[in-house]
Amino acid sequence: MRDAQRGSAAALEHLFRHHWPRAYRAALLVVADAAAAEDIAQESFLAAVRALDRFDRRRPFGPWLHRIVVNRAIDWGRARTLRRELAEGDAPEPAAPGREPAGHAQRLAAALAGLGPEQRAVIVLRYLLEYTPGEIAELLDLPRGTVNSRLRRGLDRLETVLREEVE
Amino acid sequence: MSERRLRQLLDSTPTDERAEARAWELVHAAWAEREPRRRPRRRARLVLAFAAVAAIATASLSQPGRAVVNAVRRSIGIEHAEPALFRLPATGRLLVAGPSGTWVVAADGSKRRLGDYRQASWSPHGLYVVAAATNELATVTPTGAVHWTLSRPQIRFPRWGGTRTDTRIAYLTTSRLHVVAGDGTGDIDAEGLPAAAPVAPAWQPTPADRHVLAYVTTRGCVTVLDPDRGTVRWVSAAYADPRALAWSPDGTQLALAARTKVVLFDARTGRAAAVHVAGVLALAFAPDGRLALLRDREVLVRQDGRLRALFVPPGGRLSGLAWSPDGRWLLTELPAADEWVFLQTHGGRRILAVSHIAAQFGAFPSLSGWAS
Repeated sequence: MRDAQRGSAAALEHLFRHHWPRAYRAALLVVADAAAAEDIAQESFLAAVRALDRFDRRRPFGPWLHRIVVNRAIDWGRARTLRRELAEGDAPEPAAPGREPAGHAQRLAAALAGLGPEQRAVIVLRYLLEYTPGEIAELLDLPRGTVNSRLRRGLDRLETVLREEVE
Repeated sequence: MSERRLRQLLDSTPTDERAEARAWELVHAAWAEREPRRRPRRRARLVLAFAAVAAIATASLSQPGRAVVNAVRRSIGIEHAEPALFRLPATGRLLVAGPSGTWVVAADGSKRRLGDYRQASWSPHGLYVVAAATNELATVTPTGAVHWTLSRPQIRFPRWGGTRTDTRIAYLTTSRLHVVAGDGTGDIDAEGLPAAAPVAPAWQPTPADRHVLAYVTTRGCVTVLDPDRGTVRWVSAAYADPRALAWSPDGTQLALAARTKVVLFDARTGRAAAVHVAGVLALAFAPDGRLALLRDREVLVRQDGRLRALFVPPGGRLSGLAWSPDGRWLLTELPAADEWVFLQTHGGRRILAVSHIAAQFGAFPSLSGWAS
């Protein structure tokens, strides 16, 4: 981060390559739409670059980026839900060929899609990005109890859906 | 399912190398354009903040501040500054958009708020407006009735083109170009094309029943394409820091404003001719083909290959350009003075100003077009 702030393109690329996969995965798992996930992850990195000079080096970059990604993904999910209410049957989301998850991961993605965006975000933050419930509460500005209940309900729901599929 | 198994499955979600490459191109371009700055010391920041607040307070509240504004007005030839927008100096309807939403202003000065949209533009014949909130694209009538909506993330620069019977709307989501039919169906994401720079795409005004769109890539290349057929007609060389695109009214020329020049492209071949005028931020063609150029502190007009200065305020930055439908008036904005400035370009050289714009619209808006 320090070198990127000082103008090193190599340092910036290292930062990008290190954080992109998780940022993209997190967005994809929350919104379940590859094009939207790309936009969200890309725009989050752009926001990071624009604020690079103001960034406090003593703080870790990852949580700051993840907060942006997950909050944007939640907003996108809510907006899409609203659109469904407004215009059922309108133009479907374009899905890019060959970019959807496959196999077990696909089943998990399908199961996740049955949860609300806030619940998906909590699951992704806990089990993909490895934050503690306390950290998630801070990142999403939620009471810790809400985070715990969303985790519990989300896991139960996933387990039910995945078990039904196997059976 | 164990938590360990869940972690494994989440970690195995595939990523997309092409998406990563596109994102890196864009992030690197944004990083290269930024100017690294030294961190100011806290004390210096405080002093600057107090100075700025004091200056604003002086200018906006005190009698001497108002006197300075009046002196500036007189020195630039503004004969009279109306305290409110009582009427437009030409026929037609003005479209503006900003933090307080999108508004249509009629020739008699009456205003109608269309909704909470921050960007907007007219349909080709002024029958509808396409407007964008952060995550929603909407078409509305000039009376505010919503025709249809479409949710997409981070929508910017909606632009409507086509004939009376078959239209298309182009817009960007972050850096991706999208095209949707005028009735809201068939939204496509131009996935195979390079990422788009933050410049409004522009539809070629053509009488024929075809749709030709120009946009600028993050590398600064102008790309002209036929989105219906999925074909690219031509791609220009790269130009640094692209800011604005506009087609001539007859559709034979495409103008690009870049950092150090304005480039005029032949619509058919893409052959480029440069006009060496630096720092152009916006450009707009009049119905008769004159090209207005907006620089930070100057409005220029290009006619018959010659450039002339039309308006130079002694202080304050200009923003926005809109020609009246009859091409006799050009509207620009002086946000620091909270004014619109109407410049007569035919049959005289009058300059008319309207004050207190922010109070009339809830916030100072951007010009989005003046339709007949």
